[in-house]
Amino acid sequence: MAPTTHSLRPLSCWKPIFRHTRLQKTATRSLTTQITQIKPKRTFEESRAIAPKRRSNFKILGPPPALKFKEPIKDVTAAQIAILDPTNARSNLFSKTNPEAAHVGDILLVRLKTGDPFAGVCINIRRRGIDTGILLRNELTRIGVEMWFKIYSPNVEGIEVVQRKEKRARRARLTYMRKPKHDMGSVQNIVLAYQRSRGALRGNGGAGTLGKDELKGGKRKIKGKGKK
Amino acid sequence: MIQLKIQTMLNCIDNSGAAIVECVQVMKMKRAAKIGDRIIVVVQKQRNFGPESGPGASVSTSAANKVRRGDIRHAVVVRTVKKLQRTDGSVVKFDDNACVLINKAGEPIGTRLNGIVGTELRKMKWSKILSLAPMHL
Repeated sequence: MAPTTHSLRPLSCWKPIFRHTRLQKTATRSLTTQITQIKPKRTFEESRAIAPKRRSNFKILGPPPALKFKEPIKDVTAAQIAILDPTNARSNLFSKTNPEAAHVGDILLVRLKTGDPFAGVCINIRRRGIDTGILLRNELTRIGVEMWFKIYSPNVEGIEVVQRKEKRARRARLTYMRKPKHDMGSVQNIVLAYQRSRGALRGNGGAGTLGKDELKGGKRKIKGKGKK
Repeated sequence: MIQLKIQTMLNCIDNSGAAIVECVQVMKMKRAAKIGDRIIVVVQKQRNFGPESGPGASVSTSAANKVRRGDIRHAVVVRTVKKLQRTDGSVVKFDDNACVLINKAGEPIGTRLNGIVGTELRKMKWSKILSLAPMHL
């Protein structure tokens, strides 16, 4: 800034006017001391918060909810049993906590929706949730027959306890009953007597179709025996 | 786990005259036979009708025996010791293996059956045997 500046603006000549302005400009440039503060960049969330709220159809969901099922398979089993056994009668008949439940060694009668009822000594109860099954053994036409039934099967109409074992069996599976020494043989007589008594009971209060069915099944069995 | 395969000894439950037969071939398949399967058998023991039919009937009994020891015949399996699962989840198992002799056309040789048979015979189109049987399960 060697040349002196005039405080007054020269009016007549262009040259000093330009010089004057040029000098002024340099002065302003060199004297810039004020620093414009650089604003830190806002994060996306902050800008979202600041931004004016717009209406949008896009739904923003929160974090997913915590898992509803702690033990999924257990819950599924419970749901299936609720469907197949709404009254809980079948579960109770074979539950371990129920003192009135059927045990191995009892004579059980399984009524089926298709076909004749099957009766026999229960020699095994396989507890597997919805796949729970019972193994019944009987002797028909002098031939030993064993049948597994799924207790929750829709084909199984009902399961009745014909006779209980007097003494509790001290084994979980009575497979020794297959041996001739321990074989109970035919339990048809006991089952027939039971069915007759049930039929008589039903007869007092009006004969039900179920009783008739049972009697029919019984008759058939007698015929089979007679033939042989 | 007794599978019904070659060399299995079976009971014959009809009145054709055979008591015990031996399986020598399972037809049309290379596996153990199940209820309702057709097999080829050799008669190993003849049934003795003597005490049942009484004295004087020995001539007729020998005539009643339609098959003799050593005969090769076709047969249908009607009971197995091996467990057989059904479509509804129930399982059936008998205490012995048994069969019924048939001729090549598929008609039973005997006229009577004694003993229970499996219901699977109906599914396998053996209704004639099923109707002869005193009981089926």
